[in-house]
Amino acid sequence: MSELPPTTSVRRWLVTTNHKDIGILYLITALFFLLFGGVLALLIRVQLWDPANQVLSGLAYNEAVTAHGLIMVFWFLSPFGFGFANYFVPLQIGADDLAFPRLNALSYWMYLFSGVLLGISFFQGGTLSAGWTMYAPLNVPMYTPSIGSTGAVMALAMFVIGVTASTVNFLTSIHHSRAEGMGIMDMPMFTWSMLATVWMMLFAFAALLAVGLILAADRVLGSVYFSATEGGSLLWGHLFWFFGHPEVYIVFFPALGAMLELFQTFSGRRLVGRKWVIIAICLISVQSFLVWMHHMFLTTINLEIKTLMMATTIGISLPFDLVVFSLIYTLMKGRIQFTTPFLFAFGALLLFIVGGITGVFLGAIVLDYEFRGTYWVVAHFHYVMFGGATALFGAAYYWFPKMTGKMYDEFLGKLHFVLFFIGFNAVYASMFLGWETPRRVFEYNPAFQLFHQIGTIGAFLLGFSFFIMFYNFLKSFVSGPDAGENPWDYSRTAEWAVPSPPPLENWPNRPSYASGKLEFVKDYVPDGGPAVKADENGNAATDGGDSHADHIHEYAYWDKHPSHASIWPLALSLATGIMFLGLSGFNDSISIGVADSLATTPVTISNPVYPALTVIGLLGLVYSGVKWGFEDFYAPPAEFAERWPFNGVEKVKLGMWFFLASDVIVFGAFISAAVFIRYNAGWREWAPLTDSLPGLINTFVLLTSSFTVILALVAAHRKSRTGLLASLGTTIALGLTFLAIKMWEWHHEIYDVGVTIAENSHGDPIQASIYYVTTGLHGVHVVGGLLIAGFLFYRAWHGAYLEDERPVEYFGLYWHFVDIVWVFLFPLFYLF
Amino acid sequence: MIDPITLQQGTDWRAQAEVFDEIFFVFLTLGTVIGIIVVSYTLWNVYKYRDDGSEPDEDFDAPVVGELPTGQGGPKAKKLFLSFGLSAIVVISLVVYAYGLLLYVEDGPDTGAEGDIEITVEGYQFGWEYFYPNGHSEMNELVVPADQRIDLKITSRDVWHNFGSSELRIKSDAIPGETSETWFTVSSEEVEEQGGEATYLVECFELCGSGHSAMKGQITVLPEDEWEEWYADTDGDSENANSSSIEGDLANPSVTGSAVGGVSA
Repeated sequence: MSELPPTTSVRRWLVTTNHKDIGILYLITALFFLLFGGVLALLIRVQLWDPANQVLSGLAYNEAVTAHGLIMVFWFLSPFGFGFANYFVPLQIGADDLAFPRLNALSYWMYLFSGVLLGISFFQGGTLSAGWTMYAPLNVPMYTPSIGSTGAVMALAMFVIGVTASTVNFLTSIHHSRAEGMGIMDMPMFTWSMLATVWMMLFAFAALLAVGLILAADRVLGSVYFSATEGGSLLWGHLFWFFGHPEVYIVFFPALGAMLELFQTFSGRRLVGRKWVIIAICLISVQSFLVWMHHMFLTTINLEIKTLMMATTIGISLPFDLVVFSLIYTLMKGRIQFTTPFLFAFGALLLFIVGGITGVFLGAIVLDYEFRGTYWVVAHFHYVMFGGATALFGAAYYWFPKMTGKMYDEFLGKLHFVLFFIGFNAVYASMFLGWETPRRVFEYNPAFQLFHQIGTIGAFLLGFSFFIMFYNFLKSFVSGPDAGENPWDYSRTAEWAVPSPPPLENWPNRPSYASGKLEFVKDYVPDGGPAVKADENGNAATDGGDSHADHIHEYAYWDKHPSHASIWPLALSLATGIMFLGLSGFNDSISIGVADSLATTPVTISNPVYPALTVIGLLGLVYSGVKWGFEDFYAPPAEFAERWPFNGVEKVKLGMWFFLASDVIVFGAFISAAVFIRYNAGWREWAPLTDSLPGLINTFVLLTSSFTVILALVAAHRKSRTGLLASLGTTIALGLTFLAIKMWEWHHEIYDVGVTIAENSHGDPIQASIYYVTTGLHGVHVVGGLLIAGFLFYRAWHGAYLEDERPVEYFGLYWHFVDIVWVFLFPLFYLF
Repeated sequence: MIDPITLQQGTDWRAQAEVFDEIFFVFLTLGTVIGIIVVSYTLWNVYKYRDDGSEPDEDFDAPVVGELPTGQGGPKAKKLFLSFGLSAIVVISLVVYAYGLLLYVEDGPDTGAEGDIEITVEGYQFGWEYFYPNGHSEMNELVVPADQRIDLKITSRDVWHNFGSSELRIKSDAIPGETSETWFTVSSEEVEEQGGEATYLVECFELCGSGHSAMKGQITVLPEDEWEEWYADTDGDSENANSSSIEGDLANPSVTGSAVGGVSA
């Protein structure tokens, strides 16, 4: 642990784990990517000025279109919302920080370096040119051979890893650290929206992670999933849109949360039908996973499924209706103040209404058939996603005084809004007028040229308006008037009850809503003992009312001060970035010859840079991971907190459960892919590639190791160091046995039978790919588990875990999960 | 709602374009009207309840920092559900109406004894190849007769494309390893209006590579007799038809039982 340097020091921003600092980092980085994606958008608009003249080549245009989409959706919209979430969710729920501060810093650095990777991919022979939807098989090296295409895929995979960490963090924080008295229905609407967002992300991004890993395997390892004619293209469509549709709400909900917040503050009214809005938001989150095939109406799915998807699609529009009406009625009888934040939030509502109505058109399948692949779709989703993001710019003006302590310039803000709103509608309304133009086509029908030219002019106006915002924020940050604690007349949420900007640990004393409104209570902390909850008068209460206080003694570090600085999130992310950069060119730098065994296989390295980067990154990853593990970093648990529905579940355990839930989806996607492809190939056409015996032995080995992990926990609980070491050691030995058998089996398949990841002398190559990639992913999980087990063993050797056996328990959860996955893989690959 | 059954009278076949135009018109009219009503109502209320600097009313219950939220129900919630119910009725009835026409579009008009012509369309980077029942293949130009129902079986030999003609309002994904279907028909009146030979632009609606923008083709519709003459002449080069790279079940363009009705050359 190191001390946190002051904000003026560059080092501060490299080591900080404080949620407010990281929020600022997210916001600035996201705005940078807004510029990056915006410049690409302007390139597209210049190309569209005249259907005959071309500024970019066909390939370069496709790269611009692809990168614009990827950057705006992944590297701008979501992180911009998460910047605010980082800063304000802990403040709104009365927490000191997020549940896992270092993990939060890790998410940010993963995000930043993944964006850097995407930037680098432009210089690796051109970035991906397959569209942000990356339809198969255009996304495999046969059709997009540049190293940069792989670079972009690796960047996306890295981004998703960071997102997963962030999702687990927010879920744990919101479910674990709400101030006393703040029930789940009492949470501010922005926090509610974020909670729904992260719940969707937990499952949706897991699907994207799976599909990204499979694509990375296709591009780096040479598997043949997405070029398989046994349903490879449709597999991509299903997995991508299973993620892709919830993603629409994932990027929209933070903006919706801002709208709900700002409408209340600037009208002085409380949200109408609040309970029903929350229910609607929850319904949308669930329904979002049931509509994905409406993106695939023109593929070969049958009428029954189309009908079902049409019904669910219309179904999901209804809760949105309710939310929109609630927003409108909230304004009525209010005292509406037309400040810049309100204008943006209100503008977002108007744009969203247009996006919503045009979306109903797409729900009617006959219309969808014709709109598919046209500018109608482009216009619609910009009205929804970018229209929604309009509220996030409102949020930027709304919270700017809180984050900086300075007031922005109201005139410049309003000017920004006017230009933004005119520019926005010029770009996207013109797209509705020229909707018959196919997407991603620049040699379009000259009849639509006028509309596209209006769009281009609007785009430049829209782009220009942001420079007013940047100027406004910079000037106000340097020389704006002091904003004070609460510059708004009708604000309600807790962030306005502390100074601007808030102090490092947010609160003067422990925030509590136990009395029905926010109060700061002083708890009595006896020397070396647990805190005693204060009563309403600020006196220490003799009987702690919260059951969780009973667990407090389990935390060993009483007198410790919370940590706010660690360099290891940055180091770990940098190492991952280097490794992923190396992997992007791995396939092009190494050629592996044919031989009889691994030992005699000739390996030719044509370009040592990428393999070297891979190795350096991997070593750095392991090193910083170990340093992270040994770092003395203290993130105190919230002592008296509302935890419904996870009362009594400890913080790290809750985080582990959330992580495992997302991992279930990852494996679920891999297994679904295997089943889907096999079904398309003809289920009975395939017989197991391998002997069932090694798989059977491995099943017993793994199941036994699950048992020894339980023994380890029992031993730790009984404070038996020997027992703990013996059972942990046995677990490790069994894990290594599993891997050894696995290696023997693969070696046998590759060198004796002639089945490799891309070739199968006995049948479809895709069957071999599925076998290696799916069991390989499981193998990687085993290796990861063994690394953690090795770490635990080392700590246990030095006497750890006898007082507090929970790390052993949490490792056990992970290990059992890995074993359970194998129980599903074994019959799939060895028996049937 | 229009009963799909009444559409299935040979001479009254509705092209997909007509069906689309009808639904689009209904949606556009309703969408515009509802949009204008909602937006105007909102704007008017926002103007009406603006903070004009006058003293707050006695009963204006301003929120304060740190309060726990209230307002979970109340009289406005009734209004909320009324609006919600109304919008739900509009949306659901629109979709049910459109669904009735979907069933027609899915099946296409009943060709009865007339039969139809089935043509396999294969997308490639960057163009379209058409395979006729007699084995003849055409690159980039699809020549078909008027007054006939043309069935298209669409696939791809490399990446994911999307075959579509905006003017005919037809579109379907061309996916490697999959075969999707659509159909169209052009009346002889339409062909005459265009001067004895109607042409329609074909474009690719799914990003498929560097030549995606320029991946265009044409559908040419001839009067039935002229087309039959043209089709009879194509027999000679049917040996060349399989010279392309297609494999597997695509190698022999299917000739369904009724596929060559009216084509007895």
